[in-house]
Amino acid sequence: MNASTRTEIEHTAADWLARRDGSAWSQADHAALADWLDADTAHRVAFLRLQAAWDESGRLQALGAGWKQPGPPPRGHWAQPAQAQGAASIALAPDLRDLKLAPRPPVGRSLAATAFAVLSIAACALFAGWGWRTYTHVDTASYQAALGQVQAAPLADGSRAVLSSDSRIDVQLSRHRRLVELRRGEAIFEVAKDATRPFVVDTGNRQVIAVGTRFSVRRDGNDLRVVVTEGTVRLETTRTGQGPQPMALLPAGSIALARGGDVLVRSLPIADAEGMLDWRDGTLAFRDTTLAEAVVEFNRFNARKLVVADPAAGALRVGGSFRWDNAEGFARLLERGFPLRAEYDASRIVLHSR
Amino acid sequence: MHSPLDRWFAEEILVHEEALLRYLLRSWPHREEAQDLRQDIYARVYEAAAKGFPAQPKAFLFAAARNLMADRARRARVVSIEPMGDFEPSHVLVDDVSPERWCGGRQLLHRLADAFDGLPDRCREAVWLRRVEELSQKDVAMRMGISEKTVEKHLAKGMRLLADRLYGGDGMARDAHSVPAKDDDERQHAD
Repeated sequence: MNASTRTEIEHTAADWLARRDGSAWSQADHAALADWLDADTAHRVAFLRLQAAWDESGRLQALGAGWKQPGPPPRGHWAQPAQAQGAASIALAPDLRDLKLAPRPPVGRSLAATAFAVLSIAACALFAGWGWRTYTHVDTASYQAALGQVQAAPLADGSRAVLSSDSRIDVQLSRHRRLVELRRGEAIFEVAKDATRPFVVDTGNRQVIAVGTRFSVRRDGNDLRVVVTEGTVRLETTRTGQGPQPMALLPAGSIALARGGDVLVRSLPIADAEGMLDWRDGTLAFRDTTLAEAVVEFNRFNARKLVVADPAAGALRVGGSFRWDNAEGFARLLERGFPLRAEYDASRIVLHSR
Repeated sequence: MHSPLDRWFAEEILVHEEALLRYLLRSWPHREEAQDLRQDIYARVYEAAAKGFPAQPKAFLFAAARNLMADRARRARVVSIEPMGDFEPSHVLVDDVSPERWCGGRQLLHRLADAFDGLPDRCREAVWLRRVEELSQKDVAMRMGISEKTVEKHLAKGMRLLADRLYGGDGMARDAHSVPAKDDDERQHAD
């Protein structure tokens, strides 16, 4: 093959793809494209190559997260090292250092491809474009925060997630649904309003569903805590067996605790519910909380664990706002204000009654 | 449109394009023919895989490259024997990006950002509106104040340039387009 043949084929392949992407695509076009592809393997491989690159370009949406102005950002927008910009700018530009894109799940891919094939046979002219778009616009991303880190994750739909220490979410955005799988830990979600695409946080056996609102979901194995600070969310449990599907509507100020088959919902003033999400800003707020519970909160964020040595110590009640990255400072305060004695070593801090 | 063979081709073969081009540029005395060789190699690999998937796609791809170069060298009878020695691709297989890493890493996002930034202005804008803002071609045309036909042309061009950068890598894309770019302009004038 010489150069002019090769570039000609590539141009023709690109023209086909661009036309198919447009509105005037007809059944006759579809047949003509099929003929062209069958005519020569060189046609087919050129077409496949461009198509694969065009598929990949759908991931531009992940890069576009956080860019709110119409049209593309200026060149070099993604080139500056996020390190130098500090924490404040994480919300503006996706932090590529910690961003990981999972490969597209092969299941979804083959399902979509199968669906596409079936549609093509049934009514390809009408539905080809639709199937194509549905397939191409599933955007997949994973975010995680390491122990002791709080990580902002701007999602491609304009929503924001803030991940707490040792947490991970997998995000799939399609045209019909926004699915976030909370693999472990806790995340706060500020959901961009989009009535056509419900925002679903899946924790394995339960789903938390919102349209446009602010809430957090925490997962400890299968135990779940949902805190709603704005709007309303729906908590659903995956149906198992015959029984009715348990469901709870949670207005702002709700705290839902789900364990096993039970869901306990408490209502708090919204300011108190907000207080439960203070970890985002580096602090933990307690109000008449047992020391045992407070210690669990601290330990979410620190490798050096606080340990309560006896039940009497664990039953003490504490209040106030503390930096979660300073467990030792917390222990020293406790020693001053409570009948407690602390032992400090490299891996843990043990609290005893005095 | 996405047969298992097509998917296999995208996932197991295209991801090695940059390494393949480097190998071709090193081994073949005529740099400007690298992209044509690449295209022929793809066709051969695709046809062979239609009869049965090779167990080691990457090794298979490089073997196809070596065979094609050897065929051409024999036919042309002008190629000296020295580059033949370099046809041995074994050293290329070491320390190269595996498809998993290529597809999975944030590397891809960086690469995509670079490829996107490398597009000409209007083309870049059209691709953005279509792919990120998800406007239809018609709406892209309205937004940019151009005809739908022109939007289609921008997108077609974007597809070609993105493919060259994403798969071929940076250096090669520039290299490859010193020639087709001219060809491109002629086309635009002709339209």
